[in-house]
Amino acid sequence: MENYIQYVIDSSVFILKGSVLTIQLYFVTILFSIPLGISLALMKISKFKSLRIAIGFYTWVFRGTPLLLQLFFCYYGLSIFGINLPAFTAAALTFTINYSAYLTEIYRAGIESVDKGQYEASKALNLNYFQTMKRIILPQVVRRTIPATCNEAITLVKDTALVVVIGMGDLLRSAKELFSRDFAITPFAIAAVVYLLMTSVIVYFFRKIEIKYSIYE
Amino acid sequence: MKMIQARNLYKSFGTHRVLDNVNFEVNIGEVVVIIGPSGSGKSTLLRCFNGLEEIDSGVITIEGESFAHKDPEKKDKISSKEKKEIAGKLGMVFQHFNLFPHKTVLENIIEAPITVSGLKKNEAISMAEALLEKVGLSDKMNSFPSKISGGQKQRVAIARALGMKPDIMLFDEPTSSLDPELVGEVQKVIIDLAREKMTMLIVTHEMRFAEEVADRIIFMDEGKIIADEKPDKIFNNPEHPRIKTFIDKITMRQSNRQE
Repeated sequence: MENYIQYVIDSSVFILKGSVLTIQLYFVTILFSIPLGISLALMKISKFKSLRIAIGFYTWVFRGTPLLLQLFFCYYGLSIFGINLPAFTAAALTFTINYSAYLTEIYRAGIESVDKGQYEASKALNLNYFQTMKRIILPQVVRRTIPATCNEAITLVKDTALVVVIGMGDLLRSAKELFSRDFAITPFAIAAVVYLLMTSVIVYFFRKIEIKYSIYE
Repeated sequence: MKMIQARNLYKSFGTHRVLDNVNFEVNIGEVVVIIGPSGSGKSTLLRCFNGLEEIDSGVITIEGESFAHKDPEKKDKISSKEKKEIAGKLGMVFQHFNLFPHKTVLENIIEAPITVSGLKKNEAISMAEALLEKVGLSDKMNSFPSKISGGQKQRVAIARALGMKPDIMLFDEPTSSLDPELVGEVQKVIIDLAREKMTMLIVTHEMRFAEEVADRIIFMDEGKIIADEKPDKIFNNPEHPRIKTFIDKITMRQSNRQE
């Protein structure tokens, strides 16, 4: 029994070390894809038709093909053209572009759901476009899109496991290594617990923001 | 001096002509009420004055400066900066209030004075407090719009518009979406403004209110102004049979409702 506890602790430490990379990738992706998603959403509803078409094409491609394929393309595919990205860069880039595509559509729908009276009132008060967006429209959009953004944030935790295919050592890969070495199911159970912990923290965090933003309802 | 001058305004939505050669003016300190059947172009006319709608042709002058100048021959020569400056002289109150739901009553009022006019926060707050007292809502300062009644929302919206120190106030059916028992409190605020000689242009369906507040009444039908008279003349001795039919119909409905 004592041996087993020691085994669980050692395995956990090993797996947690692997999860550092998962967490890094996670934060880089979230940090870039949310602002990018908001900016692209604003462009997607702008009055410039070519911009709208370009961004429509982008979300069509990145939402319509597997993330795994995009990861292959960015890491292996680009090396054919002499672009050799380090694995972490390739992964962060792919995840950011992929998640931005989803978030663009979420925020676009959120912006379009704001009553046009809000724009009219802003205009009547002489607020310009940026002031209207920043101070009036986007705060309401953020509130409305918290549940959808939270879903994306949870999915991203699990999608980070895909980096195994480009040879990166993340949480899941550490668990898999232990499994291969010991032929025991415990490492997988530990990995599951770590994923659950991470998603729970995210859900808790989003719930907090939701409560903060819901005071006006 | 003329506050607003409209010359030969035309506007169509598709093939439907909503403004058909509209000409009128509003003098300083004057309250002009626009009445007429639904779809007669009243709201559109109002919205053209602060740029929420664009006219197809005609000239709008606000305090002597041309705001919208559309001549089929000439290009629109007014820069958007000038347009903004002129639009800043107008405050607007909407049928559906359009308060900012994520901001408190106070924040709704101080938003534009701080962001647009560059007022200091404490100055904006003391101004907002005075405005809230004026519309009788000092106790709702920190409430969110979702927590107050329609009549209170509309009074906040009036205070918000006044916060930009407009020379002219535009009201687009300010009481149409209110429960009947809340109409009076909003009308009272507008009547108080009229007493202070605020220049106002009001679209409404409330005939008694129109009669009480207006210096002049404009009757619109199918995009045309068919009468521009003193209230007394419009209500008691209208020239046009259509005006009489409209007023009889609407006052009958309103007195039924009040009984």
